[in-house]
Amino acid sequence: MKINRWLFIFLAFVIGIGAGLAYGWFIDPVDFFDLTPDTLRADFKTDYVLMVAEAYHSHRDPGISARQLAIFGSQSPTSIASQGLTYARANQFAEADLVLIQELVTALQAWSGIP
Amino acid sequence: MSRFPWGALLALLLGLGAGLAYAWTISPLQIIDAIPSALRDDFKDQYRSAIAAAYVSTGNLERAKARLALLDDIDPIEALNAQAQRLLANAEFQSADQVVLLSAALQGNGIALVPPPTPTAQTENTQPTQPQNTPSLIPTSSTQDIVTATLEIAPTQPLLVASTPRPTQTPIPTIGAPFKLIAQESLCDSNLPDGLLQVLVLNSNRRQMPGMEIRITWEANDDRFFTGLKPELGNGYADFLMTPNIAYSVQLAQGSDVASGLIAPACQTSSGENYFGGFKLTFQQPK
Repeated sequence: MKINRWLFIFLAFVIGIGAGLAYGWFIDPVDFFDLTPDTLRADFKTDYVLMVAEAYHSHRDPGISARQLAIFGSQSPTSIASQGLTYARANQFAEADLVLIQELVTALQAWSGIP
Repeated sequence: MSRFPWGALLALLLGLGAGLAYAWTISPLQIIDAIPSALRDDFKDQYRSAIAAAYVSTGNLERAKARLALLDDIDPIEALNAQAQRLLANAEFQSADQVVLLSAALQGNGIALVPPPTPTAQTENTQPTQPQNTPSLIPTSSTQDIVTATLEIAPTQPLLVASTPRPTQTPIPTIGAPFKLIAQESLCDSNLPDGLLQVLVLNSNRRQMPGMEIRITWEANDDRFFTGLKPELGNGYADFLMTPNIAYSVQLAQGSDVASGLIAPACQTSSGENYFGGFKLTFQQPK
């Protein structure tokens, strides 16, 4: 039964591929390091925005805050801060933190000329 | 007697190899939910700077600790000190001050920080509430920390000592005792550069202190230099090359005893060659 034999081999090959994919994607995926901040999970990104907002509340210089937010890549600082505010609102951050982020967003909008 | 299915086994192994190659190299999982500890070192530095800047603004040490823990540094204090040295080397003095201040606070040597008033009257909970489906990022302590300790590091950051009126008691920053000159040695070592003035600055626990500004004056001139720029020689180490036959005076900018009349000593090697030696000064903050 030559056809059965080749079918058996083909099935073994397919099972091998499936097992390899499952292992490589789920059981032991590639370890990533040296990542850039734009890959951070949304809650960590938002906490970074909150840090920038906390610092802004003291120094009051939107330029410094914009430089701090620039680590997230090509998005505008206002957009990054706004996304942080959206996430913080959606996830019930403390009111004081929301106010700080809102303050930063407003300052960045004024600084960058966004109405 | 049935034969062992070598062909199928080989196909299975080939398939396994192909699957792994695809999953690990050709199309690895997309990274979209990274954690801060996976960031590249320079981005970790920026993350630490942001933590320090936020700490300086709020005085919330617990929150700063929780954030630093996300970076998975083996020794967060050492990581902060090393970063402070890099910032000083890049002349980023304000950031360096903030990082050093956070480091000092973690060691229990912080100065009083008074956070500016919150922008709203609602201050029941100053901690961010974390989403239900993600791990807790920040401690949930409901108190706003005000760090009090004696002044051990002289930050140039003006925000640190803001005397903001508050309805509750406001800690007043206490100026630490001036550093004492605990040792002054004249060195004759032909392996060292001529006229090398070495300064070592220690805190009250004899830990070396980076980022300390040292003022040196001679005749009608003055200059300043900082500890920590040569970490291979110690975090609290700094040096300066003296010109022979000129008397120098050295003092820490933060306030210390003055080492005056420092003239590079004339020395001689065993073979009779003349050269100029140097000094080693050790300053320590009293307990």
